[in-house]
Amino acid sequence: MQASGKQERKLLQQHERERKYWKKWSVGWNVFSVVTLVVAYLENALLATRETVDNTYYHWFLIAYIAYLVIVYVVGQVTHGGVRSYSGHFAQLNSSIGILLIVQDLITEKFAIMELPFFVSFAQILQQIHEDAKLLWESTLSSLGLWAISFVVGTLIGVVLGLLMGRYRQFNYWAFPYLKVIGIIPAAAWMPLTMVIFPTSYLAEIFLIAFSVWFPVAFMTIGGVQGISKDYFESAKTLGFSEAQIVRKIVIPGALPSIFIGIFTAMGLSFTMLVISEMIGAKVGLGWYINWAKGVGNYTQVYAAIVIMALLFSIIFAIFSKVQARLLRWRENGN
Amino acid sequence: MSLLEVNNVNRVLTDNNGAQVNVLQNINFDVQQSEFVSLIGPSGCGKTTLLRLISGLDRPEGGTVKVKDELVTKPDASRGYVFQHGSLFPWETIRDNIAAGLRVTQGRHFDKQLVDRYIALMGLQGFESAFPHQVSGGMAQRAALARSIIMHPELLLLDEPMGALDAFTRADIQNVIYRVWQQTKTTMILVTHDIDEAVYLSQRIIVMTPRPGQIKQIVTNPLPYPRQRTSDDFLKFRQTIQDLLDFGSHDQLVTDSKEKAK
Repeated sequence: MQASGKQERKLLQQHERERKYWKKWSVGWNVFSVVTLVVAYLENALLATRETVDNTYYHWFLIAYIAYLVIVYVVGQVTHGGVRSYSGHFAQLNSSIGILLIVQDLITEKFAIMELPFFVSFAQILQQIHEDAKLLWESTLSSLGLWAISFVVGTLIGVVLGLLMGRYRQFNYWAFPYLKVIGIIPAAAWMPLTMVIFPTSYLAEIFLIAFSVWFPVAFMTIGGVQGISKDYFESAKTLGFSEAQIVRKIVIPGALPSIFIGIFTAMGLSFTMLVISEMIGAKVGLGWYINWAKGVGNYTQVYAAIVIMALLFSIIFAIFSKVQARLLRWRENGN
Repeated sequence: MSLLEVNNVNRVLTDNNGAQVNVLQNINFDVQQSEFVSLIGPSGCGKTTLLRLISGLDRPEGGTVKVKDELVTKPDASRGYVFQHGSLFPWETIRDNIAAGLRVTQGRHFDKQLVDRYIALMGLQGFESAFPHQVSGGMAQRAALARSIIMHPELLLLDEPMGALDAFTRADIQNVIYRVWQQTKTTMILVTHDIDEAVYLSQRIIVMTPRPGQIKQIVTNPLPYPRQRTSDDFLKFRQTIQDLLDFGSHDQLVTDSKEKAK
């Protein structure tokens, strides 16, 4: 495929979009998605509630959602760009979310088929998030901070060790067997030790999370470096590259696709370790919040923290996916 | 003094069974400044091996390779090398690929105008910011050529750079190489198994025989430039080379196809 001319590039872009958002635009599904959410709103507002709940925030949430769906529907109807592909593709999914919202509302707060305290409605979760807004915000920031520091430390250690082991045979000989044996230990197994060895529990948490990260990153980096075609190294040598330049210009970019696989694998593990270590050692953070809520028997708070984690981790994941797509845009098929 | 002197070069490799194989045996030849020389022979004759020894990517088991009377011990930018598959860096744009050597030797403030000139010379305008996988094989090979030639090498080594291209693109790249050679007077050594290509481009043709790789004959091409591929003289000289390469044995064909299958 050769890129030439603006029009051709535009067509290619559209083609790419159609491959990604492959469901066809359909007025019916778009309208239906709006209808399901309007029904969710009416049903919640009109039916009598069995459980105590302040539905204000749920209503605002539904109104915002409906407004969003109406806007993308109207824009999709009158234009032929990205919004149309996007809203057309996701109309069915949005309808399913509307239906799920109706169902969960009916079986919890309306008819109490699944009851408090273990099962709560989405409205109750939103109300709880609003009530605990300050504490949850602080917990989120503290979890995010801890995660970010640990993830960066773990990734850096993993990448550096991986590059050294992938590139230099001597280093590989001495380090790789140790990496294999030590890296395979689940980070959680170190928990009792780290809590007593490290001077502060914060350092212990950083160690545990970073430990869950470095191994998959290092392992994938080694494979990535070793998988680089030797043609590139030879071209570089005949162009006068020094060893440092080879590492910077060939080894790192060549291993980057694998490094990202390692990073995404490590991400899931790091989220797990974040929550576990906060549950055990910390006095702040979302993991601590869940543990504390469990202690006082407020399961709505547990749900609230879970919803926030879902959001937070999805955002982190989405950001990394964007960065990956940008840095690896030189590859044939994007991913 | 010759630019390149290859003296009594031997290349011995050990195969899977531990047996020693003479890949190259007793290779001797010189190349003069600004000369265009082709190495031709059937696959397995060691012509690429020989080119790698000249570049310094490999070292010979015996004999010496000297450029300007200096022993070649490792590859460097003064001996450009264009690989069969171009081996452009897939993570860099066409422009960055062409500038790759300049950037490492001249640093951040490399001569950007020079890069533009070579993009124009190779007819790559409009594709500067494309990545290698987005351009055709011919364009990738032009970029690979530009990347080497922009370093003003004393010697440009071409390792079947047209081998993976279709007939039209091959003729096009041959003309690009011819033009570059005419304009820059860079000394070039071309490895090929295409007789037409060798006859069309080179002043001297080194014909090699396989197992062990040896020089059968060095033939001077009498045809004046620019050459016509369909002229009688061209076809006659082509036949001379063809006869030299005709080993007349069925075995050769069999081993050749085995080699390709690998």
